[in-house]
Amino acid sequence: MNAHADPHLARPDARDVADLVTRLTADYGERARTSRAIRDQHSHGEGLADAGLPDVVVFPHTNEEVAAIVRLCHAARVPVVAFGVGTSLEGHVAALYGGVCVDLSQMNRVLEVNAEDLDCRVQAGVLREQLNAELKGTGLFFPIDPGANATIGGMAATRASGTNAVRYGTMRENVLGLTVVTADGRIIRTGGRARKSSAGYDLTRLFVGAEGTLGIITEIQLRLYGVPEAISAGVCQFATLEGAVQTVILAMQHGIPVARIELLDDVQMQACILYSKLEGFEPKPTLFFEFHGSDAGVAEQAGQMQAITAEFGGSAFEWATKPEDRTRLWQARHAAYYAAKAMFPGKDVFATDACVPISRLTDCVLETKADADATGLVAPIVGHVGDGNFHLCVLFDPGDPDERARAEGLAKRISLRAIAMGGTCTGEHGIGVHKLEALVAEHGDAVELMRTIKRALDPRNIMNPGKTVPP
Amino acid sequence: MPTPMLDPAIHAQLAAILPPAALLTSAEETRPYECDGLTMYRELPAAVAIPENEAQVASILKRCHAARVPVVARGAGTSLSGGAVPDKRGVLLSMAKFRQIIAIDPLARTAVVQPGVRNLAISEAAARYGLYYAPDPSSQIACTLGGNVAENAGGVHCLKYGLTVHNVRRVRAVLITGEIVEFGGDALDSPGYDLLALVNGSEGLLAVITEITVKLTPKPQVAQVALAAFDDVGAAGAAVAAVIGAGIVPAGLEMMDRKATRAVEEFVHASYPLDAAAVLLVETDGTPEEVAADMAEITRVLGEAGATGIRVSKDERERLLLWSGRKAAFPAIGRITPDYYCMDGTIPRKALAQVLRRIEELSEQYRLGCANVFHAGDGNLHPLIMYDANVADETKRAEAFGGAILELCIEVGGTITGEHGVGIEKLPQMCVQFRPAELERFLGVKAAFDAQTLLNPGKGVPTLSRCAEFGKMHVHHGKLPHPELPRF
Repeated sequence: MNAHADPHLARPDARDVADLVTRLTADYGERARTSRAIRDQHSHGEGLADAGLPDVVVFPHTNEEVAAIVRLCHAARVPVVAFGVGTSLEGHVAALYGGVCVDLSQMNRVLEVNAEDLDCRVQAGVLREQLNAELKGTGLFFPIDPGANATIGGMAATRASGTNAVRYGTMRENVLGLTVVTADGRIIRTGGRARKSSAGYDLTRLFVGAEGTLGIITEIQLRLYGVPEAISAGVCQFATLEGAVQTVILAMQHGIPVARIELLDDVQMQACILYSKLEGFEPKPTLFFEFHGSDAGVAEQAGQMQAITAEFGGSAFEWATKPEDRTRLWQARHAAYYAAKAMFPGKDVFATDACVPISRLTDCVLETKADADATGLVAPIVGHVGDGNFHLCVLFDPGDPDERARAEGLAKRISLRAIAMGGTCTGEHGIGVHKLEALVAEHGDAVELMRTIKRALDPRNIMNPGKTVPP
Repeated sequence: MPTPMLDPAIHAQLAAILPPAALLTSAEETRPYECDGLTMYRELPAAVAIPENEAQVASILKRCHAARVPVVARGAGTSLSGGAVPDKRGVLLSMAKFRQIIAIDPLARTAVVQPGVRNLAISEAAARYGLYYAPDPSSQIACTLGGNVAENAGGVHCLKYGLTVHNVRRVRAVLITGEIVEFGGDALDSPGYDLLALVNGSEGLLAVITEITVKLTPKPQVAQVALAAFDDVGAAGAAVAAVIGAGIVPAGLEMMDRKATRAVEEFVHASYPLDAAAVLLVETDGTPEEVAADMAEITRVLGEAGATGIRVSKDERERLLLWSGRKAAFPAIGRITPDYYCMDGTIPRKALAQVLRRIEELSEQYRLGCANVFHAGDGNLHPLIMYDANVADETKRAEAFGGAILELCIEVGGTITGEHGVGIEKLPQMCVQFRPAELERFLGVKAAFDAQTLLNPGKGVPTLSRCAEFGKMHVHHGKLPHPELPRF
């Protein structure tokens, strides 16, 4: 049994599950799968393997089908876990108590694009890269870009962010409305196409980030943005990590509207140079920038930024103005996790996720770096530092209990350090199963309210049980 | 009507918590609290409590919870939806003494304030750091931050800078049980359920706010506004969609129709073109280069959309002059009509032209004038229905007209309230906008915070039986007959 398991929860009765599987197989035929391979694939996300095998995986095509599946689970009191493409990092999709996995990947249509209103409506299984490919030609784009090519449904459920949250916000700011299947299998709509609404409680934001524990998100209304007239990306290298972080803080305090500002430490830079074959760079602390706006605006922002980097010992900027050069650069950044992993084949890697107020960023990054060095583990740092959020990709040998313990100890100290500095144990990856304790440390009394809300909206505790809200 | 009475036992308990001057019970003392900005509804509370610290708030709530006495929190009382109207059985909790700006952190760009601090006071205090608090409801001189959070207040600049929910980092509040909780945090994101978003716009139904951390925004170096005239209201609506569709995010995008501009012109002389059917005010802010580039694009799009005249402010004095008309619109309308009824529906921008034309038709149908002054960029309408409460059946027609506008908003995919909240006023339309499955989730959230429904009862979310009752009474336009009868 899993170490994080909730003692109040038990697996559902085996006969109930068997009946349910029979029923789903009858209703969905080839779209209800029970093969070991499929169930294995749906038992975990990325990151530390907290596997939990579902009893059956169903691939619905419509909101009504999702609702019908949940109604059956509700009646039989069997857990139901929503699944996108399985790129979450905190064990969100593990079926800890078995039950039904609802794989939304076949609900992958962009339902409408309203160019004049700068919004669109998509099914939960649409991938973020797919959405932007379909938006080509409209002059619009959707900016939120977690490293993985995740589904929009999964990104909403985990309140994902990405490299340009500093300019465009996270999923919290960019989801306008949802269609949700509730725990009793009813279809509700929250929010809508209006830009703002004071009618009723903000259920949209309640479901965004609830990690599938209150309902299953099946459709998402998203805010879109005009593709900027001009985009330019620059890279600047530093002699010290401190210089790079101080640059970020000063840029934020000057209010320079950078679209992206990413920190890679020397180790991560080394990994990316090797993995993505970046040329002309040294393994030193590095900042990647991107500026969006009019031609004049971009030139002005870049000028202000260069003045600041020079002050902290930054090198001259390497510019990438051609789209293909920019894509190459950002692909290298997005591949940071895989680059780190490739440094030591055979080692496992997991990503930590801390976010602190920008004024504490230097302290937090430098203390964490020293802490990581002291463990003797390889743990490169990468971060969307403009919003105070950074990650360590901690490499460890899964067969070596001592190494694993050192890695977990480091991760825990990072969470507590961020919380002590007025920050959070998760800027974007969510709670899942791994950060339940940290949530208590951070939120204290409010956790009891979260439990009450969970009970109010899912009284039978069938929606992704054992996640997000500590027992 | 007899003065409502507080149960003597609970009165004694409150008297032990508060000094005599902070617990009012006589009708002449409680009268000033009988209504808020929506003056159609009035009620005397059984008592008014004016605590001065969080411990007192917690004790009061704990006692009221134990004795099942309703509590309604109140800031400056500027709500336009009846959010602060007292409950005659209960305690009106005035947060007026929570007036302290506790801290401003110019590095983190945040301010920690008490809920009774006025919206504008934050910007005034932050000005010396070159910062300000962006959400700017029209009542910002008077309205307080606690109320802003409770109603998720908007304003002219929310198009670019977001609503209250986007500008609040952390809220400290007291639950009806007297427990103190914190929502959100100082970092960008906060894990677990987004309780901070739930409290924003909860209209005082979930908790009493005692401390708020807000985000401050650097003051833009320059701002410039364009005033564009159109000879057709629909064309002005289409121009709004064109500006947004061009990928421009103006700092403000406001619209006024001829009835509004004429009323305003007589009042403040902002030199608006009086022959235009509608005008748009489009503002852009940022660095001089950005503003110049944006303004060139804005004037091009407005010209293509059929503007008959465009005037761009040349300096700060002219910019403020052009805005003065918009800011004074509500009082200006108040000068030309004995009464007006302000609606707050919000629609997808694409539907603006269509909805504005329909409102013109409804205006003829109900034989009442209607001026439009609103946040066009957000699609947030504020039709001001002009009527005279002293003329037989005009109030009724005004309410029916308003109900028809709100239902029109729902029909095109919008919402009955963009920023003023549901309060008492729009409970019936909640039954039109939401289905039972959705209302049940709202009620579930409410029950999680306040199972006995003691905080601000009878507002915000209708009960299912209430909706069934409304349905049976066939309230086609969303207004009850004899709305003066207390029903909540």
